[in-house]
Order: sequence, then structure tokens, then C-alpha cells
Amino acid sequence: MHEMSIAMEVCSIAEAHVPPEQLTSVVEVGLEVGDQAGVEVDSLEFCLEVLLTSPPFGNAKPVIERVTGDVLRVSYLEVDDGRPDD
Amino acid sequence: MAVRTIEVRERVMARNDELAADVRRLLAEHRVPAFNLVSSPGSGKTLLLERTLQELGGRLRIAVITGDVQTQNDADRLSRYTDRLVQAVVTGGACHLDARQILTALEEVDLANTDLVFIENVGNLVCPASWDLGEAAKIVLFSTTEGEDKPAKYPKMFQQSSYAVFTKMDLLPHLTFEMEKAKAQALEVNPDLSFFFTSARTGDGLDEWYAFLEGQVAEARRA
Repeated sequence: MHEMSIAMEVCSIAEAHVPPEQLTSVVEVGLEVGDQAGVEVDSLEFCLEVLLTSPPFGNAKPVIERVTGDVLRVSYLEVDDGRPDD
Repeated sequence: MAVRTIEVRERVMARNDELAADVRRLLAEHRVPAFNLVSSPGSGKTLLLERTLQELGGRLRIAVITGDVQTQNDADRLSRYTDRLVQAVVTGGACHLDARQILTALEEVDLANTDLVFIENVGNLVCPASWDLGEAAKIVLFSTTEGEDKPAKYPKMFQQSSYAVFTKMDLLPHLTFEMEKAKAQALEVNPDLSFFFTSARTGDGLDEWYAFLEGQVAEARRA
């Protein structure tokens, strides 16, 4: 039931790692969620899908890796800076 | 398109845990132990606190922070037994208290003139287990009207708790609840659990509970 709180915290962490003007360019937010973390993954995913497609984000999607233990962390962000591939 | 990856590797609960550390520091400065009471709804948290305030309130200055989803009912009940020090956090639907709410509530508590703090969490055996509130210990209430398998169903809450208080012991003769089975299930998920066996209605077992609380207060003062 507390997945929305977790999702909002995930968004705060993402916002702390990317300059405000680039938040709309975030395309992926990678998370690790342990089986003992006390988190319902489907519900968390739903909350994140809503939050990550609303301002200040543009159209990012959550990518949740299920792991063992009580791990609950944001592992990476992917940002599309719009430049063509080198 | 050029996609770059930013390594984050940051724990989601990191911010809460920082705030919990602030709570712990604040309480330690004033040498006040805080206990986080957790349980399913209706297990008797408020009644145990009412009786504790009534009978121990003359000897210890007790502050209570209550978390209620939608009402002030628990705070209203408790405020009958103490003219101050009851802080209500209405969570507006949230299923747990977090460390930020405790830090804010403690601003209103005169810690210099407080011996003991109770946090009455939202009745829920799932979510409050995940939030460190800066308490000295979590205490889980386990009423005899529940199933003996509660610890197996909600292991995290029993693992996170240091003490389990059995409540409604006066009803035991009328129930099929098997105490030995319940204790065994609780110890299976957390071998370090200590137990209390209480009835807040008859007062049975409360002497041990009060002695424990007074001991914790004395220990915090010596720290």
C-alpha cells in the first residue's frame, strides 16, 4: 500500500541526478527490488508509470529488476540527449 | 539517438533513514527512549497506551505520537489521561508513519521534560515494517483474537520488532488460540523476540510491562 510513497522517493532520487531541464529527456529509470523489500512490484510499476510520464518528467519508463534480499534502490537512469549517434 | 546512462545506485529509503538518524540523535540528546508500537488494526494499541498512561503517568512523563489514517479518535482517547504530549498525525490515507512525520511531531514535544515517547503507528502489519522512525525498538502487539500464524504471514514485521506484546489475554479461555504455537511461530521468524503477556482490561501482565518501560527509561538516562 505504500508503493506510491516509494515511487515518489524514486522520482526525487532521479530528480537529484539530472538537471531540471533534462528531466523530460529521461527515458528509463532502473530499479532493483528485492523479494524481501516489502514492495508489491506491479503496484510500484504502475505508480512509476504514472509519475514518470507526468511533469517534470516527459516519457520515462521504469525498468524493475527483481533480486533477492531486502534491496530497494535506484540503480541507473538513461537520458536521451537528442544528439545523433557518433 | 544518443542515450547515456547515469549510474545511481542509491537506496530508496536513504532519505527516510537520514531523517530517522536525526530523530535518534534528538532523542539520544535528551536521553529519551522511543518505542514504535505496531500491529494489525484492533489489536489493542490504544487501550494498552490508555492504561499505561493511567498507571505509569504518575511516575513517568510520557509523550505519545499517534498515527491515525482518518480520525483524531486515538489522540482524543489518549488525551484523557495526559494533559499534554499527545501529537496526532493524520496520515490522510497513508498506511504508515515515516521519519519526517516523527521529526515534525517531536518539535511540539518538550523533550527536556519527557521521560518516554510512544509512537502509535497506523494499524497495519505490512507497511510500517519498512520505515525506520528513529525508535529505540519496534514493539509488535499480537492479540489472542488473531491467528497464531500472523508471524508467518507477516514475517518482516516480526523480524523488525524486538518485543512482542500478547494482548487480550483475558479472552484466552474463550478462544481456540494456542499460545505455544503462536510463540513458536514468532520465534521461528525472529529468535531474539522477547514476550509480554497482557490484558489491558484486567491488568494482568502489566506489571512486567511497566517494569520493562521503567528499566528502559533508567537505562537511557545512564547512557
